[in-house]
Amino acid sequence: MKNRKWLSLLLGTGLVLAATACGSSGNNSAGENNANGGAATKAPAKTEAPATDKPESDTKPELRVLNLWSKDDYNTHPLAKVIEERTGYKVKYEMLPADKAMDKLNLLISSAEPYDVISIAGDKAIYTDYAKMGALVDLGPLIEKYGDNIKASISEASFEAMKVDGKIYSIPNRSSEFAGYNLMIRTDWLDKLGLEMPTTLDDFTAVLKAFQEKDPGGAGGKGAPMSIDGALATVANITGAFGIATGWTEQDGKLVSTAQNPGFKEYLTYMADLYKQGLIDKEFAVNKDATLKEKFTSGQIGVIQLPWYDIPTVADALNKNFPDAKFAYLPPLKGKDGQMGIGMSGGYDRITFIPKSAKHPEDAIKWINAKLEPETFKLISLGEEGKHYTFSDGVYSPILPIFTDERGLASSYLTGIDEVNYPIYWQARVKKDERLFEGFAYLNREIPAEGRVADPLAFAPSLPEYAKNNASLNQMINDFAVKVIVGEESPEAVTDFAAKYDAAGGSASAEEVNVWYATTK
Amino acid sequence: MGAGITDLHRKSKAPALKAKAAGRWRLAWRNRDYYVLLIPGLLFLLLFKYTPLYGVLIAFQEFNIFEGIRGSEWVGLEQFRKLIESEEFAQVFTNTLLISVYKIVLLFPIPIFIALVLNEVRLMAFKRTIQTIIYLPHFLSWVIISGLFITILSTSGGLVNNVIEWFGGEAVGFFVDNRYFRSLLVFTAGWKEVGWNAIVFIAAIAGIEQEQYEAAAIDGAGRIRRMLHISLPGIMPTIVLMFILRLGSVLDAGTEQILTMYNPVVYETGDVIGTFVYRIGLGKMDYSFSTAVGLFNSVVGFILIISGNYVSRKFLKRGIW
Amino acid sequence: MNHRTKGDWLLDISVYVFLTMLGLMMLLPLANVFSKAVSAEWAITSGKVGIFPVDFQLDTISEVISSSTFLRAFGISVGVTVVGTLISILMTALTAYPLSKGNLPGMPFFMVLFIFTMLFSGGLIPNYLLMRQLHLIDNLWVLILPGMISVFNMLVIKSYYESLPEALEESARIDGAKTYTILFRIILPLCMPVIATIALFYAVGFWNDYFGPMIYINDTAKKTLQLYLQDVVMNASSTNVLNKSIDDLMNMSPEGVRAATVVASTVPILFVYPFLQKYFIKGVLIGSVKG
Repeated sequence: MKNRKWLSLLLGTGLVLAATACGSSGNNSAGENNANGGAATKAPAKTEAPATDKPESDTKPELRVLNLWSKDDYNTHPLAKVIEERTGYKVKYEMLPADKAMDKLNLLISSAEPYDVISIAGDKAIYTDYAKMGALVDLGPLIEKYGDNIKASISEASFEAMKVDGKIYSIPNRSSEFAGYNLMIRTDWLDKLGLEMPTTLDDFTAVLKAFQEKDPGGAGGKGAPMSIDGALATVANITGAFGIATGWTEQDGKLVSTAQNPGFKEYLTYMADLYKQGLIDKEFAVNKDATLKEKFTSGQIGVIQLPWYDIPTVADALNKNFPDAKFAYLPPLKGKDGQMGIGMSGGYDRITFIPKSAKHPEDAIKWINAKLEPETFKLISLGEEGKHYTFSDGVYSPILPIFTDERGLASSYLTGIDEVNYPIYWQARVKKDERLFEGFAYLNREIPAEGRVADPLAFAPSLPEYAKNNASLNQMINDFAVKVIVGEESPEAVTDFAAKYDAAGGSASAEEVNVWYATTK
Repeated sequence: MGAGITDLHRKSKAPALKAKAAGRWRLAWRNRDYYVLLIPGLLFLLLFKYTPLYGVLIAFQEFNIFEGIRGSEWVGLEQFRKLIESEEFAQVFTNTLLISVYKIVLLFPIPIFIALVLNEVRLMAFKRTIQTIIYLPHFLSWVIISGLFITILSTSGGLVNNVIEWFGGEAVGFFVDNRYFRSLLVFTAGWKEVGWNAIVFIAAIAGIEQEQYEAAAIDGAGRIRRMLHISLPGIMPTIVLMFILRLGSVLDAGTEQILTMYNPVVYETGDVIGTFVYRIGLGKMDYSFSTAVGLFNSVVGFILIISGNYVSRKFLKRGIW
Repeated sequence: MNHRTKGDWLLDISVYVFLTMLGLMMLLPLANVFSKAVSAEWAITSGKVGIFPVDFQLDTISEVISSSTFLRAFGISVGVTVVGTLISILMTALTAYPLSKGNLPGMPFFMVLFIFTMLFSGGLIPNYLLMRQLHLIDNLWVLILPGMISVFNMLVIKSYYESLPEALEESARIDGAKTYTILFRIILPLCMPVIATIALFYAVGFWNDYFGPMIYINDTAKKTLQLYLQDVVMNASSTNVLNKSIDDLMNMSPEGVRAATVVASTVPILFVYPFLQKYFIKGVLIGSVKG
């Protein structure tokens, strides 16, 4: 009895407290917004009075900018100073955490933290959500008024891709399309066995078998001819031979996802067969990026999937262990109907927007605009000629190490890019290591154009349903692929899987994607 | 104080309620100093723990961060239904329970054993060194530890498999074999935390009066007997406390650990509630669903703690409250 | 105590053998991380680094330690840990004391009230809003105040209080001592082993806290060491690589840097335990006060 009384009393107080807190927090966010609005009008007035000695600060408030995580502090990096000098704006940079970045961003946006500019990764799902919720400033009028450089730099197509319900809420950094991943093979092993570089899938299988039987690396049963990353079980190049080089591919005028593509089953059958024969690393499912590199560079594996930007690390380690080791990318392997291709990625790798809670939206646009002034933009992305880079024959080459020290982070500072020139400037980054550049150039220049398959969705506009489900659906595909390859499920199960995939959001995505795709023709 | 309080203890269900009630108030008033001491703690609790508690309401909504709790749509038990009716739930729930129970049964006694054994060490320098070393793995995150184990247990040249093969056995793919995966989880979890978990027992042993040992030694009790009849009973309250609290987290089978160690091949045995929810929530902002799952775990945990405490009071005559 | 039987010898030997093996096993991971921090990158990439460094070098670690971001975060973490631990011990010891009198009316109820919060929490958003209302966002106190009392630690100390003989307090009370005097003069001095334990738990807790700083601290200049470490380590984890641009991937820190960051941010807290150990090892003599 007594206990119950106590209980009700305390619960009562607890609830009242909770309720008041609840209520006041609700009111508060509104109140804060008002306060912000008030501050916005007040802030310039405040600076006006004492700023007699520095005329710029009359009109240019300090901006608060939120960026993605970086190892170096944005505020103390040399580029911060360059940008401040060129734009006249003082900026306070803050950054999201590396892990759980989106959780944190949601908190900041929903509680209306007054950031003036926010740059996130090219995650259109979250951007579309924010825009639809009315959390972002419509940039159209602002760009019209203050954004001459923005208009000159960013293509109509890119703006089109950023539109949500017909309005532009963000400025994208369009990344050029290129092939990133391909299979890397130990060419010294090929030479040792007198084998040619394979060009068809059948040749490739034969090479793997030869690696297994003749053990050119002398691994003595440790390791396997090929290994892949457990998180990337749809392997570049091999998928191309089955017509599923990209996550969505065209079939009879419609886009279908890998899960629905007949090539998926054939691909899985082929891979499961390799696995059964012991041609694929028995433990590949566990492999993380580091394990894979470890196995390759310690001479246990003849073929791995490697993106070009990892080449220097791998080359260093491999050549230290085996001074005679050589490796090269495979050409696109031809499948049975001559199908082939290495999937390309592209799209928007940064998206910059202004939240409604910004105190200085106009200044934010002016700042972004000033950074896109051609000379300023070049200075930010490349530096000074003769100091940071050299220019000859239309090619920009970095001067090391100052280029890396002072411009290595440049891409993180860019809020919108000069879409014509940046891809050319950008290659200076790749040229900071000759091996890096060779890998990049092989994949993207030497391979004939038909050997590369563009991602049909790379520059698609906001597709909310697709964007929302994409990550979890891709995970489903990968999980299923791993299970089939190791023999836990039969390739026949692909039909059941496809049904499950559809139910988990696959069909909704497909519908939405194709409504858009129909308009592009 | 003392006597008066002890008499009244836990008899309030008897008749003559009124007299008892008056007695209780008087008792409380006489000991008001204690209640005053409790005030800062209670204020802390109300402000930082109970005030934000309205957040659990999210579990009954389709929560939208921009609308807040007030503006979001109420969906009742929909989120719970989504969890329980999902195809994988039965498997995931079983895995969670199994892994958790294995961890409790196999790993709970080890820290106690370590503490008892450490107490037998006379060489102070050795004792201190070991004490310090065994708590080290606690400080490394799962990402690093699982990376290390993947290397050690690799079938291609991993230390353990080299040993197995040297003895003529066949290499075991611990990470990709459903027969071994749960054992692997239990082993690595133990390896990371037993030293850390032993600390509280080591401290409890340090609190036992030395006189008791001396008296027992004079009575001719050997060291093992002293260990079993003095040290062990001496830390029994701590053991009971830790055990009851451990019950509270039975539905957390180690999500962080499993996320860094599992792969699709071992979903069958290793996929638990936490990892399952993580996977289907990838890239989405499903606050309601994850809150609902959290609430489900908490309710189960709370019931277990309450029952654990009840059982312990009844049979061991001691509990947390 | 000096006469040793055969059984004692056997016991001793097995104890030492068991503990040595346990110790060696536990030393492994740290040895590995240490070695990675001082080995050449190529050796790490190809998995050559086990327990001993390969191609020993100190450049990575000295580069990590001398970065201004690291030093600043280090200072903040030390400050938060020291202040937080002191406040928490006081608060916890105070609160646990009345709760250890389970026979006073209402105390079991209050106890359940505390335990309830071990399991139920309002979640991210309400907590963030609360801190905002209290003006604690970007304020370092936010890393201390919400964690002032850990119920777990409170239960540990409460259980210790309960194990102290009643007679201690009784005799003091007969001498006319007030409750507060009894707590501070008689009880707490006898509680050194358990205070050392919770001091360790709190210090490690504050030092390792990653979630609090991640959520409540926006200002780059106020980031703690653990947040810095977590970012460096998790940046490379596969879940976070998905959304990265090619430039981010090219700029990713190599594994050696990650290992060096782990070493540099873990070693300081490792020294807390040896320092507190003397309180663990000294058994307590309270027989003298016993009636």
